[in-house]
Amino acid sequence: MPEIVQIGPFRPQLVEPEKFTLTVENNKIIDADIELGYVHRGIEKLFTTKTYLQNLALAERICGICSGIHTLAYAQTTEGVIDVQVPDRARYLRTIYMEIERLHSHYLWFGVLAHSLHDTEAFLKIMGEREKVQDLLEFLTGNRMNYLINTIGGVRRDLNEKKIQRIRSVLKDMKPLSDHIMTLLDDNGRFTKKTKGVGILRKERALAVGAVGPVLRGSGIKSDARKDDPYAAYGELDWEVITEKDCDVRAKSLVRARETYESMKMINQAIDNLPKGDIVGELGDPLVTESIGRVEAPRGELFYYIKSNGTNIPERVKVRTPSFANDFTIIEMMRGDYLQNARLIIESIDPCFACTDRVTIINAKTGKKRLAKLE
Amino acid sequence: MAQPKISVYRFMAAGCNGCDVQILECLVPRYKLADLGVGVVFTPEEANVLAVTGGVNIKTMEELKSIYEKLQPPKLVVAVGNCALTKEIFDKGYSMVGPPDKIIPVNFYISGCPPRPQAIVTSIAKALGAKLEEKEDYWATPEEYRGRHEFDSEKCIGCGACAQVCSSDAIELTENNGKRTVKVDYGHCSYCAFCQDECPEDAIKLTREYHLVFTDRKQASVTTDVDMQKCSSCGAYFMPQRQLKRALERTEEKVAEYKRYHDYLKETIGVCLSCRRKISNIKKAKQLLSRLSVTALQK
Repeated sequence: MPEIVQIGPFRPQLVEPEKFTLTVENNKIIDADIELGYVHRGIEKLFTTKTYLQNLALAERICGICSGIHTLAYAQTTEGVIDVQVPDRARYLRTIYMEIERLHSHYLWFGVLAHSLHDTEAFLKIMGEREKVQDLLEFLTGNRMNYLINTIGGVRRDLNEKKIQRIRSVLKDMKPLSDHIMTLLDDNGRFTKKTKGVGILRKERALAVGAVGPVLRGSGIKSDARKDDPYAAYGELDWEVITEKDCDVRAKSLVRARETYESMKMINQAIDNLPKGDIVGELGDPLVTESIGRVEAPRGELFYYIKSNGTNIPERVKVRTPSFANDFTIIEMMRGDYLQNARLIIESIDPCFACTDRVTIINAKTGKKRLAKLE
Repeated sequence: MAQPKISVYRFMAAGCNGCDVQILECLVPRYKLADLGVGVVFTPEEANVLAVTGGVNIKTMEELKSIYEKLQPPKLVVAVGNCALTKEIFDKGYSMVGPPDKIIPVNFYISGCPPRPQAIVTSIAKALGAKLEEKEDYWATPEEYRGRHEFDSEKCIGCGACAQVCSSDAIELTENNGKRTVKVDYGHCSYCAFCQDECPEDAIKLTREYHLVFTDRKQASVTTDVDMQKCSSCGAYFMPQRQLKRALERTEEKVAEYKRYHDYLKETIGVCLSCRRKISNIKKAKQLLSRLSVTALQK
């Protein structure tokens, strides 16, 4: 007899609330269901009540972990609506700030992974070392989470010699942490035992359900908005898109671990080649037009659409966040797997429900429970 | 392991998860939370302290009530972050029903967007009456930190540019008894520092102060007063004195020739908006305009 198992919505093991209803038979998951909306705040409506500048602060608060990349995506899309030339220095600075953010986001994910594997030692080590990145971000931007460093037409704060030195010294400190994570994930590592073969997402299924970011790259597909559609200074730097073939949770972890090295490489290169000049361009008037923009957030491709009516307030802003795209891969990965792996699978996409719940058209209105049914 | 004195249950009620990550970071050894006898628990039945983040939406409201019922005495509730104080930037969102203190009683408020883990830890220590050593350099905020606001009351001209540019409607202008009060409710602030960037007089600054803990969220505000100018025609207060003075100075700075008409300019801008439509005032304004345009021609 199949049983119904409910995970969440409020389980402190998960950082954020979301309800999962699993159908389980003999300890094996045969079907899964997701219910969203616990973090819905009506942001897309709020976007149309504030000016382009004020919306930067709102875009940032869609998600607290990948906050910086939201302002970048919003600013880049707005730059298609407002006539402005972004200075070269600003493009490089954006790259530097966003890659530091990717570091903190990926390390946080490893902390959460260690937490869900009940590995307190690794959790404390990773989170303790990660504090250095957080302190660096606070030092550079003035806030630990919501930095508000990107603005329309450039960035808000410049780098000086003191800040550059601090970045370099923190990067030097972080390399051993990445090495440590790599040893946890190598063939005999502590993480490998529990993550190998768990949550398989085959290449064709990953494409079919529309996975993005490290989840997609963990299934062996080379897709990265930074390479496919270069923005900021990514087109001018030398770096690689990381992919793994194994399709399981370990592959996704390896993608993220190896990406931290790439991020460090990019930051160092960008600092070495930092052009001189202004950090923000002169703003023109908003045109009556539409604009789209996409960037690679730590969790995958982030997409913005803005419609302008010529006033200083946008007419429509639409956001498609990476966690929303990846949410449906959870169902795919859970089917056929064991119940004790459920939490690990949920964590494996690095879910950010604060992101996701902004876009949900809540079925609570119709009383309909099922949000997504695959096949 | 000894039973922790305080066991915290964290509840996220529609926020951005920034505060939740900060609470997670408090568990890192360097903050020494365990030394204070504080532990995090996973069911509300074991907890005696509830940490709420976020501004509570329709879907989380019922859950928040039922979790509060399940708490052990003394049933302390701590609202962490500005969303839990005032809903902050999501204030006008259609799905938001909070802030939490509308739904359940709240004992402590920690302001910040997000609050630093240091602030969370110190507030817990304060509540316990324990002393923390704040010797290490990470307790101090970096130079460019965006913390609580401060007004330079000498510099503020009361123009209200800060209130216009504010991303979360945290700045309010009120007029009373010949004074204009500029009030920053920093429990409502998203600490974006747009006000600091846009202030024409550099009168508002975000300081490095981050220990912002209250037992009443109305305490979270800073204000400054500026004197208002009476209309020379009808006698009603209509604009801050200093703003008028600055407007005049700027005009004369931009076009040096206008200094000749200082007295006329001063008289004309000293009339309130409704009185400017009166015939006698229109006449005066026209005279001034013709004088100014003659100056421009001569130039």
